Amino acid sequence: MPRRSQTSRRQLRLGLAFASPWLIGFVALVLGPIAASGYYSFTDFNLFQSPTFVGVDNYTAMLDDDRFATALFNTLYLTVVGVPLALLLSLGFALALNSRVRGLPLYRAIVYLPTIIPIVVSVYVWRWLLNAQYGYLNRILGFLHLPQPSWLEDPAFTKPAVVLIGLWMVGGTTVIFLAALKDVPRETFEAALVDGAGPWQRFRAVTWPAISPVTLFQLIVGLITSLQLFTQPYLLAQTRLNAAAGGPDDSLLTYGMYVYQNAFVFLKMGYASALAWVLFLITVAITAVLMLSSRKWVHYGQ
Amino acid sequence: MRRRFLGALAAGALVAALGACGGGDEASGGKTEVVFSYLWAGEEAAALEKIVADFNASQDKITVKGVSSPDFQKQLTSMSGAQGSFDISDHFGSGVGAWASKGILTPLDDFIKADGYDTKDFPAAAMSQMVYQGKTYSMPIALHTQMLLYNKKLYAEAGLAGPPKTTEEWAEQIAKLTKRGADGTITQLGYANAEINTSFTTLGFMFGGSWDDQSGAATPANPGNVAGLNFYTDNIPGKYGVEQVRKFTSGFGEYASAQNAFYTGKAATIIDGEWQPVSIKKFAPTLEWGVAPLPYPSAQPNLTGTTQVTTSTLFIPRNAKHPKEAWEFMKYLLAKDAMTKFSLALGNLPARTSLVDDPQYKALPQFDAWLGALKSANARSLASSPWAAQYSSDLALAFDDIAQQRKAPNDGLAGVAQKAKSYAP
Amino acid sequence: MVSKARYPLVWAIALGMLFPFVVMLTTALKPPGEVFTLPPRLLPEQWEFGNFRAALEAMPFWRYLGNTLLVSSLCVVGSLVSCPLVAYSLAKLRWPGRNLVLALILGSMMLPPQVTLVPLYLLWNKLGLVGTYFPLIVPSFLGTPFLIFMLRQFLVGVPDALLDAARLDGASEFRVYWRIVLPLARPALATVAVFQFVWTWTDFLNPLIYLSDTSQYTLSVGLYAFFSEHGVDWGPLMAASVMFTLPALIIFLLGQRYFVEGIATQGIK
Repeated sequence: MPRRSQTSRRQLRLGLAFASPWLIGFVALVLGPIAASGYYSFTDFNLFQSPTFVGVDNYTAMLDDDRFATALFNTLYLTVVGVPLALLLSLGFALALNSRVRGLPLYRAIVYLPTIIPIVVSVYVWRWLLNAQYGYLNRILGFLHLPQPSWLEDPAFTKPAVVLIGLWMVGGTTVIFLAALKDVPRETFEAALVDGAGPWQRFRAVTWPAISPVTLFQLIVGLITSLQLFTQPYLLAQTRLNAAAGGPDDSLLTYGMYVYQNAFVFLKMGYASALAWVLFLITVAITAVLMLSSRKWVHYGQ
Repeated sequence: MRRRFLGALAAGALVAALGACGGGDEASGGKTEVVFSYLWAGEEAAALEKIVADFNASQDKITVKGVSSPDFQKQLTSMSGAQGSFDISDHFGSGVGAWASKGILTPLDDFIKADGYDTKDFPAAAMSQMVYQGKTYSMPIALHTQMLLYNKKLYAEAGLAGPPKTTEEWAEQIAKLTKRGADGTITQLGYANAEINTSFTTLGFMFGGSWDDQSGAATPANPGNVAGLNFYTDNIPGKYGVEQVRKFTSGFGEYASAQNAFYTGKAATIIDGEWQPVSIKKFAPTLEWGVAPLPYPSAQPNLTGTTQVTTSTLFIPRNAKHPKEAWEFMKYLLAKDAMTKFSLALGNLPARTSLVDDPQYKALPQFDAWLGALKSANARSLASSPWAAQYSSDLALAFDDIAQQRKAPNDGLAGVAQKAKSYAP
Repeated sequence: MVSKARYPLVWAIALGMLFPFVVMLTTALKPPGEVFTLPPRLLPEQWEFGNFRAALEAMPFWRYLGNTLLVSSLCVVGSLVSCPLVAYSLAKLRWPGRNLVLALILGSMMLPPQVTLVPLYLLWNKLGLVGTYFPLIVPSFLGTPFLIFMLRQFLVGVPDALLDAARLDGASEFRVYWRIVLPLARPALATVAVFQFVWTWTDFLNPLIYLSDTSQYTLSVGLYAFFSEHGVDWGPLMAASVMFTLPALIIFLLGQRYFVEGIATQGIK
């Protein structure tokens, strides 16, 4: 093995070698289906018969589609409200659980537990908890003399209900932050302590920069997940098993749900693919902005 | 590096071995294996498996393997390949047209003709959903009808003698059966929707409306439909305030539980299907309830006995490996014996009119009311058109707007007609 | 070390998080008439332990448990094998095409999966692998974008000086990876393992679509035995869900030990 050789060809070979599992997977399993869906977006395709080419008709149809606008609005609402809140909450939990509280492993497990419960079961339990008259949530609100909305029937409150369930499920995000917090260089942290820095200053100067790469990750992944959100609203809005509904006044119609409906219920796979690619472009745009902004606040290395 | 590689190789070999033992194709002993994939699960699946076992025991040419697959995404993905993973499955009648028009169902006419199979025993309202462009694409295994259920105790409290015959009587009874507190808060509703889509389409039928016409076009704004929805808005949100009604209905419990609004006396009357006798026996055995034919407008006595028929159907996908054998099994399921067992276990109506008077159904309390509805001349059903799913979705939105009084019935339904122009001819 | 004021806050959070699970557990102990009463009653009036037996009888529970354990474990192996390799190439190697690969990995996460579901299924169908566990396990050996991206963000924090020193000493790149970087990344790897395990454990759609024999089904599909057109068997469903959640929870509790250590705190010798 050549030593000290930094030829770019060697680096290329090394890079490709290490990245080979993903490269193989990408070419074999990912590229084909993605290209297929791109092709379908320019066709009229019902999943079973040969697609007929329709050019950009699917894309122009979106401009006239009320439900597309509703789905986009609902999804952006859930993202703009839900993602920052979830990140703040999970970071808060991680900071709280990072200290030497007694019984810490148990508390960590409790925070993570919601993500292990089968989602069908947990959403159905939440439907019961959110019952406007008798659900526990409203009983607690009533006890605190706060208004008790009809979470699942009032179009103004269905999305907040989804956000609430999302906050309940921050266990995964919390666990990642916990691992990141363990990375905070202890010497720098202790030096700050010695210097007399208060907890907020310690956080700003030491902790935050150290975890910023992971925070960027959480932000981007949270954004992608939220923009594609399907399962929770789908289960909340269901009146019958396996039926896809949009909830009161379509307030629970997320973009992911609309794609699903078009693909598997209306059998308009062409339109569904076009919808998916529009979301893709929106996601890329927002991510690009985030990545550009990250140069200002993300610190790599020591 | 080598250790890691060997480890991966071993894992790969293990996986390959797993792949090999995943699911066989031909059953041993020269029998043809037919895969029956069905949406039912739990107790219903158990009942179905018994029938499958009976079939397998009754002959030695075909072995049927039953697979419970409760999600229809799986059905669709399987039917999209060149060779399907199942030979026979079930679906709802209203979806037959859509799938038939995509060419993924095997037409059954040749089988029917070759065997001289008699389809006259199946009611016309059911068979109409099985046919697309003159060809038969599936067969009904179970039927569902809608009747008016009423709470006998609440009726006695309100001093009412019995269920209404006309819609005018019903409106009066709803007013007497609705109780409110001093501030307008509702504590009991004379009528509540069991499931808004089915209830509203049924109301449309009750007032002589129709959701599609002979040529298969969508007719949401039919005056009968509008009249049916006006009946609801006039008598419920229009009278008691849409906010109050929503507040009350938001406190309803899960439909399939002891907290069902009808079981707990929150709704005095509902329109619902024939599975209720079994459900009530399970969740609310002490409930005093009765069932009656749906009321008709007094000016149109010809509409008496209207009901909406929906169907559970069996079909053979185009890419089935063994369509002929699947047909043999289908005939067995449709035969009187298996059909009776199946419908009794599920609490559904049999699809054969000749079974309507079968004494075995007396075991289910008041079940015969729904059976009788099958014989009605006014048994209506929604057309099974290629665009049925999208129409149903647009109707659902309009129904929500109408029930919440964001739109008047004729406005909401006209909106659906407008939307339907783009997908229904 | 910890202010006393923190404890009530921690308890309140724990209670809030735990409550739905408590509901699950108490529902599992209720007879059908008592489930989801309005007004709600938390504890059963009549304790019904039969739901657990019913859950075990409604589906081949132990078989499904075994299937699920098998698939989940293999997927964890797959992810631990593939994801760190790829993440390392993106975090610590400088090579042309690195940014392109990162962009492609991110990009592949951004397309809603509903539209690639069928083309992917058809691909596996053509390979003749539908009806086997292959479509469920092989992808984890080929890297999962989410985990790769996450690991990459962790690995960039490993001090380059450490690696350069080893390289100067003549270590091959793989040796640097295997002997220096991986041990330092233990918390992140533990996270990968736990996440992959829980995802596969709770995955419903993939086993449903790719498996055709009910004997191959996993637990999450088996849960649907309790749903039917006109009702849900809440008691047995909750009992089954409790039993379903426990193994994953145990894996998490075991994996927690590894979260405790840090990476960079190992320091430079």
